[in-house]
Amino acid sequence: MGSTRLYSKGRILGHKRAKRNTRPNTSLVQIEGVATKEDAQFYLGKRLAYVYHAKREIQGSKVRVIWGRVTRPHGNSGVVKAKFRSNIPPHAFGASVRVMLYPSTI
Amino acid sequence: MARSKEIAPGVGRLSRSQVFARRGLYKGLKKTEKAAVEEPAATKEVTVGGEKNGGKRIVPTAKAPRFYPAEDVRQPKKSRKAPKPAKLRSSITPGSVLILLAGRFRGKRVVFLKQLASGLLLVTGPYKVNGVPLRRVNQAYVIATSTQVDLGDFKVDEKIDDAYFAKPSKKGSRSAEEEFFSEGKPKEKEAFPESKAADQKAVDAAIVAAVTKTEYLRKYLKSSWGLSKGQFPHQLVF
Amino acid sequence: MPDQPSNFKRFVEVGRVVLLKSGPQTGHIAVIAEIIDHNRAIIDGPTTGVPRQSFPYRHLTLTPFVLTKLPRAAGTGVIRKQLEKEGTIEKWNKSSWAQKREAIEKRRKLNDFERFAVMLAKKQRRDTVRKVVKKASA
Repeated sequence: MGSTRLYSKGRILGHKRAKRNTRPNTSLVQIEGVATKEDAQFYLGKRLAYVYHAKREIQGSKVRVIWGRVTRPHGNSGVVKAKFRSNIPPHAFGASVRVMLYPSTI
Repeated sequence: MARSKEIAPGVGRLSRSQVFARRGLYKGLKKTEKAAVEEPAATKEVTVGGEKNGGKRIVPTAKAPRFYPAEDVRQPKKSRKAPKPAKLRSSITPGSVLILLAGRFRGKRVVFLKQLASGLLLVTGPYKVNGVPLRRVNQAYVIATSTQVDLGDFKVDEKIDDAYFAKPSKKGSRSAEEEFFSEGKPKEKEAFPESKAADQKAVDAAIVAAVTKTEYLRKYLKSSWGLSKGQFPHQLVF
Repeated sequence: MPDQPSNFKRFVEVGRVVLLKSGPQTGHIAVIAEIIDHNRAIIDGPTTGVPRQSFPYRHLTLTPFVLTKLPRAAGTGVIRKQLEKEGTIEKWNKSSWAQKREAIEKRRKLNDFERFAVMLAKKQRRDTVRKVVKKASA
């Protein structure tokens, strides 16, 4: 019947950066349906999961995850800054991330 | 002595406890005296045999330990801080329908019963309706909806507490072989304890009775929740 | 070919009823009392809770309603009288535009359980329609 998706979709835009230097310890994430800084408030602190497939199995699974958290809004158009446990590799730019609904405050 | 210089009228630079520490107020404070406990004598006299031993000797009451560390190891400071139980979110009250966000039963809608001493929430499906048993969940992993099941004056049995959910401690170390096989055959699964099944039934009876009073509520609890296209959690009302 | 008069009728004009698209009174309607320039107008909504203020056209939507006899730069009292005389607010509330807005607003405010009930009702409706159609086309 209905959907079973328990996360919002987000997209990794890139690392935090200036004109020439990048700061790969923070990533920028655009969350679907979020267009303002006010909307982004809901997602602060939420957990992020970058889920990807690798070639080699670890513990019987080729699926791997890099976990992270939304830390703060970035600019005024709803993009957020996020920290991941290990920095997002550049080949993941443009990939989608799961924005989990926990830790929940509603 | 003005140790706490003012940074604004009426506001000192130091906190109460900092001033207390710097003024050394702790030095002359203890007024009450503890009842004097009589210390056991440090030494005692013993008679010793042998001619040349003088007959009597003074020895310590408690023998010094035979072994002691060659180097002094610092004792770690004992922490006097105790974690406070988590505060219940104001949107969660007994009878609230919650949506579980993670774990085995993620996506299920359940009924909140009470908060346990550990701060975890006690919930039930009810088991009869959607298969979620009496269970503890962390409130960070639930969405509270505004829907309420009217529990009336229903009270959960006091025996259902944190200890009720604790796993029975296993004795000794056993190999995985022993754990899953006996006499070369896979072990039969242990049956669910009957007393717990009865507890579940007793709770369910009350909750299901309350649920059936509202139309569609049973169906609602039976169905699970998920986001569909174009639904954004920050816009939804729960 | 004879010149055909334009059939465009929804102008920015004194007395035009407008819908606000931004600001604290978003979603309320008001009346243009005076046109300031090609960017802004003075609007006033004495019966809809919109205080008299200058407002940019960019954040307004024109409705088909207009107060026919409103003089230029009319005060709040006059506008109120005219609105009540012509029954503009009722006309707006009855329009399908306003009703659709209301329906959307209502649907947005539903809680999870109410959304579930709506889903059931829609299912029921689909089922009934499908059965009737099948019967009729058979």
